[in-house]
Amino acid sequence: MEKEEKINVNIDETLTETENEEHVEDEKERLDANLPPEEFPNEFQCCVCLELLYKPVVLACGHMSCFWCVYNAMNHVYQSNCPICRCPFNHFPSVCQLLHFLLLKLYPIAYKRRERQVQEEENEAGRFSLQFDKNLVEPMPCENSDIFGNNQNQPHLEMDIHSESCSKDQESSSSRDSLKMTMQDENGIANKPTTSSKDPEVSRNEPNEGKSWIQNEFEHKDQKVSIADLLCAACKRLLLRPVVLNCGHVYCESCFLIPKDENLRCQVCKSLQPNGFPSVCLILEQFLEEHFPEEYTERQRTLLKEHSCSIQAQRDAKRSAASMSMDFYSSWFLGNGPKVHIGVGCDYCGMTPIIGERYRCKDCVEKIGFDLCESCYKAPAKIPGRFNQQHKPEHQLEIEQPLSLSEFISRLTSEQSDDDISDAPGHTDDASHMPMLSASVQQDEGDGSQDPEDVSPSLILSVDVSLDQEDDSDDPNDNISSDTINQGFNPVNSCNYS
Amino acid sequence: MIDFARVQKELQECSREKDSSGIRVSPKSDNLARLTGIIPGPLGTPYEGGSFEIDITLPVIGFYFADGYPFEPPKMKFVTKVWHPNISSQSGAICLDILKDQWSPALTLKTALLSVQALLSAPEPDDPQDAVVAQQYLREYQTFVGTARYWTESFAKASSLGVEEKVQRLVEMGFPDGLVRSTLEAVGGDENLALEKLLSS
Repeated sequence: MEKEEKINVNIDETLTETENEEHVEDEKERLDANLPPEEFPNEFQCCVCLELLYKPVVLACGHMSCFWCVYNAMNHVYQSNCPICRCPFNHFPSVCQLLHFLLLKLYPIAYKRRERQVQEEENEAGRFSLQFDKNLVEPMPCENSDIFGNNQNQPHLEMDIHSESCSKDQESSSSRDSLKMTMQDENGIANKPTTSSKDPEVSRNEPNEGKSWIQNEFEHKDQKVSIADLLCAACKRLLLRPVVLNCGHVYCESCFLIPKDENLRCQVCKSLQPNGFPSVCLILEQFLEEHFPEEYTERQRTLLKEHSCSIQAQRDAKRSAASMSMDFYSSWFLGNGPKVHIGVGCDYCGMTPIIGERYRCKDCVEKIGFDLCESCYKAPAKIPGRFNQQHKPEHQLEIEQPLSLSEFISRLTSEQSDDDISDAPGHTDDASHMPMLSASVQQDEGDGSQDPEDVSPSLILSVDVSLDQEDDSDDPNDNISSDTINQGFNPVNSCNYS
Repeated sequence: MIDFARVQKELQECSREKDSSGIRVSPKSDNLARLTGIIPGPLGTPYEGGSFEIDITLPVIGFYFADGYPFEPPKMKFVTKVWHPNISSQSGAICLDILKDQWSPALTLKTALLSVQALLSAPEPDDPQDAVVAQQYLREYQTFVGTARYWTESFAKASSLGVEEKVQRLVEMGFPDGLVRSTLEAVGGDENLALEKLLSS
């Protein structure tokens, strides 16, 4: 992420504070008046949409982007790469709630504006992201429930909570109150500790801030960011060299114990951490250093006493980049490897595409579908689907076969939009993607001079080409047309000569 | 779908920094999907002193599951004729990995144009777009430099700068930038004809 000029965050905070004192009604007017957006520093700008990060997702390399920006930038066919450092990954991480609430607290106006904007986009696209706090957007509660009511046949759990909290709102407009309800009622995670900094359990464990903080929180809806917003999920102290796991929970780098069996699990939600130890989220670390310089230095000093350097060395050795070996594809094509479900992601661990068995929910009505990979099916987590699917434990899951290569190709080339949603691959919405796709094939024809009917053979060719990419990448005599199509299919392939 | 909000932001940033980077991006019409980029030839190269116009088309749709710009790379090609191993002397097509499979949505039009500018100063004759130029680059380097300089003199100086001046004059008269450009293009660059046409339309 570019950090050319850093606007002093303190300025933003004072700005924030004065604006918070204004009444909700005024805020509504502000939003509608289209005033210039609240200033935020460059480090919290999403590298993809160039807006304030919304529902930030932190990748294993420590770089972050908005939930939908990561999703859209991912390669749903093969492995994905970080937009910033190109670090490969094939798990779509969950939203980092700590950062979500931190940004909301820091830049409430801009963040709510983003919330509204993204919600409009979601309603338009008919795909949704996980909701943490329905009260974020106060100006449009009725509209909201309307949309949900119309779009989804099943009444949403959150929707009920939402209307409840709306009525509460009039008495005491405490977002914390409703947040607690959302967190507990939704998906039955009440008994489970969460990393959300607003969780009362977390703050109680904080020795200095303690109960007074909770009381303050009830009195003032938004306030300055405190240490209680930035606690490690394990040690409950100020984060030191923060790392964000695939599940979105944040730990100190030193707090994460590496078990002997080398399977890293989140201590909070028990979900498995794929591909080893993540890198430190440097933007969050920089924020900690700037805002809590004394506390942060103190933490660094105590850590030096507690840990020896050898632990650090051991950890560095454990860090491994994600990689989806080309072998998966080649062995699958040859029929002797695990299945690869192109375009389908697991809703618990985020593995995209799913490798191995795919379990599809028969009862989830959402257009985007609900799918699990084999290991998540065997050890179901109690977390909701990441596209806000209302999946319930009693829902039936069944094994779904991957699209065969010929089916995949016919899908790519078919002109008609596929109305049969049950047939659609998990995280995609066929109706909108397929017509676009065929158009893209046609558009590429300009350089390739091909008929649409000819696309399939060349696609097979490109698949073959991608299997032995080493030879292909430096060959200037490469077939132009296959390359043009190859471009989207195989990200590792190098220069093409159209 | 093109993320037009992002394109707007990029254009704003480009215009803020155009004096320091020398890179200019302007929309061809009201539709932000078609743009024109202008990069100065890098100093110390045969392209020095030239001003190169690049045609930019933003992809509306991507390949399977992918959205359009910025999830797909912008399509760029030289409008100004240029003698370079990685740029077609005929069509202006550019051979640059970040405009193909190495594209990342974190890149912007400005960074892509900067990369094209860097390509001008660092040709890759082993990975050519124009085989003739590449052969010349490898076998007769001095001739290559001479030709590249001659092309810069004849195509990248008078014409493109002249056009920019004409555009500026007409824009100052109160015509929209995109319309001025398309009109100038339609009348073959004649400022007076363009003015007549603009006034009559």
